[in-house]
Amino acid sequence: MKAVFYYFERDLVKWLRGRVTVVSSLVMPAAWLVFVGLALPTKFTDNYLEFITPGILVMTTLFSSLQGGSLMIFDKILGFLNKFLAMPSPRESMLYGKILFISVRGLLQASVILLIATVLGVRVLNPISVLLIYLTLFLFSVFFSALSTMIGLYLGDHDSYAAVNSMISMPLFFTSTALMPYDVMPAWLRTLASLNPVSYAIDSTRLLFEGTIPVYGILGLATGAGIMVLLGTYQFRKAVV
Amino acid sequence: MIEIKKLSRSFGNLLAVDNLDLDVGNEIFGLLGPNGAGKSTTVMMLTTLLRPSSGTAKVCGYDIVKDSKKVRSKISYVPQDMAVDRKLTGRENVMLFAKLYGIPNRNSKVDEVIEMMGLSDRAGDLVAKYSGGMRRRLELAQALVHEPEVLFLDEPTLGLDVSGRKKIWEHIRMLKAEGMTIFMTTHYLEEAEKYCNRVAIIDKGRIAAVGSPENLVSSIGENASLNDVFLEKVKTPEEQAGFNSTQFRNLLRRR
Ligand SMILES: Nc1ncnc2c1ncn2[C@@H]1O[C@H](COP(=O)(O)OP(=O)(O)OP(=O)(O)O)[C@@H](O)[C@H]1O
Ligand SMILES: [Mg+2]
Repeated sequence: MKAVFYYFERDLVKWLRGRVTVVSSLVMPAAWLVFVGLALPTKFTDNYLEFITPGILVMTTLFSSLQGGSLMIFDKILGFLNKFLAMPSPRESMLYGKILFISVRGLLQASVILLIATVLGVRVLNPISVLLIYLTLFLFSVFFSALSTMIGLYLGDHDSYAAVNSMISMPLFFTSTALMPYDVMPAWLRTLASLNPVSYAIDSTRLLFEGTIPVYGILGLATGAGIMVLLGTYQFRKAVV
Repeated sequence: MIEIKKLSRSFGNLLAVDNLDLDVGNEIFGLLGPNGAGKSTTVMMLTTLLRPSSGTAKVCGYDIVKDSKKVRSKISYVPQDMAVDRKLTGRENVMLFAKLYGIPNRNSKVDEVIEMMGLSDRAGDLVAKYSGGMRRRLELAQALVHEPEVLFLDEPTLGLDVSGRKKIWEHIRMLKAEGMTIFMTTHYLEEAEKYCNRVAIIDKGRIAAVGSPENLVSSIGENASLNDVFLEKVKTPEEQAGFNSTQFRNLLRRR
């Protein structure tokens, strides 16, 4: 399984060398946090920043995971995939390396948000909570990066992937509990939000910020991530031979 | 080293490789043929990247479908379209392969193949700054870190100038001298004639001729070349479509 790490390392180094992309992917989520958290007028809470921080954290990892689906497409159309598949290391390591890279990149972005939120006065109660927030975001990220890589491999070209991505990312975000809690939602939205995996991650993260440990939330996300990785592996195997 | 038996591959109702039978020993073997003849498809089946529709093949004694992992541990593959990471240095590109292949003492091995391909003084540069010829040699270096028994090269000299092509061929010759089997495709027939021990000409997925360049050439006649063999064995698209050169010239004159 060392190969997973080598593939991960390859993507990480390549990403870090694209300075503009790195800066923008770290600055953009922070900008969201500041503008949405400080500027939006709300009635249901007097500390909207505290409420919105988990939402922005999850949103950032969501968008970053969904974007990650294009990585596998590029490796495929540029011929890297075939070169790697002709090597004796286990073929799936390539897939797991991608999922790991996309998820770690999401956590790096999340760290910037956590940092800025702390500067702006949001407090997390203890180190365990911080650790569990990272775990929650990681599992969530694995779920969506496995899904996006699967969609990417299935579609096989970058333009259709970008179209699908923009079609699912925004609805997923707006029908979640990112911007408002269940009790201020209209009934139809409440139903959608409670079915949305994104709300799952947001609710868990929110509980962690409040100092509660969302055992079921984390277990649920772990199960979801596990299933998605299995499905992804199955589809990858089918797609490459 | 390679035994191909009735190997076929179709894409939809297009038969890209049609009942191919071929035996390749420890030699430099050239697969020739016009565009779309099925060369790359054949190479991809032998490198376990594509599943045959029917038939079998063995590489180093291992079945390409049932023992595909064993096959992969014996071979290296350089695809027709170059794929090297532009944002990594030449050395990092080779190092990635050394790591993935699990090479012991990889630092010295990587330096060795980079040296062998004449890239030592540029090894620390990003590949984005490399010329096409350097990228080709870098791909060869990647393929050679793990000392394969059979090296598959899909048009390794494509798009290179005369001296670049010559360099690649010299490397291929040297590898053969060290005991490696090389299975390659090319469109440069003069070079195939000069450097390959044996060649096969395929057309529309079928073998049109196979043998050493000398034998193929002498079967056509004196002072012939592999080009003549190729033209004799392969129907050009113009002939099939009934291309009328007089008509074409008249058309041009009218403009
Ligand atoms: N993935 C694919 N899907 C559909 N058709 C394909 C696919 N790959 C190859 N073909 C078809 O199979 C035939 C053989 O293609 P192949 O790439 O093997 O030719 P080639 O001999 O390598 O040609 P060239 O010299 O141009 O590289 C062509 O008609 C091509 O269009
Ligand atoms: Mg080809």
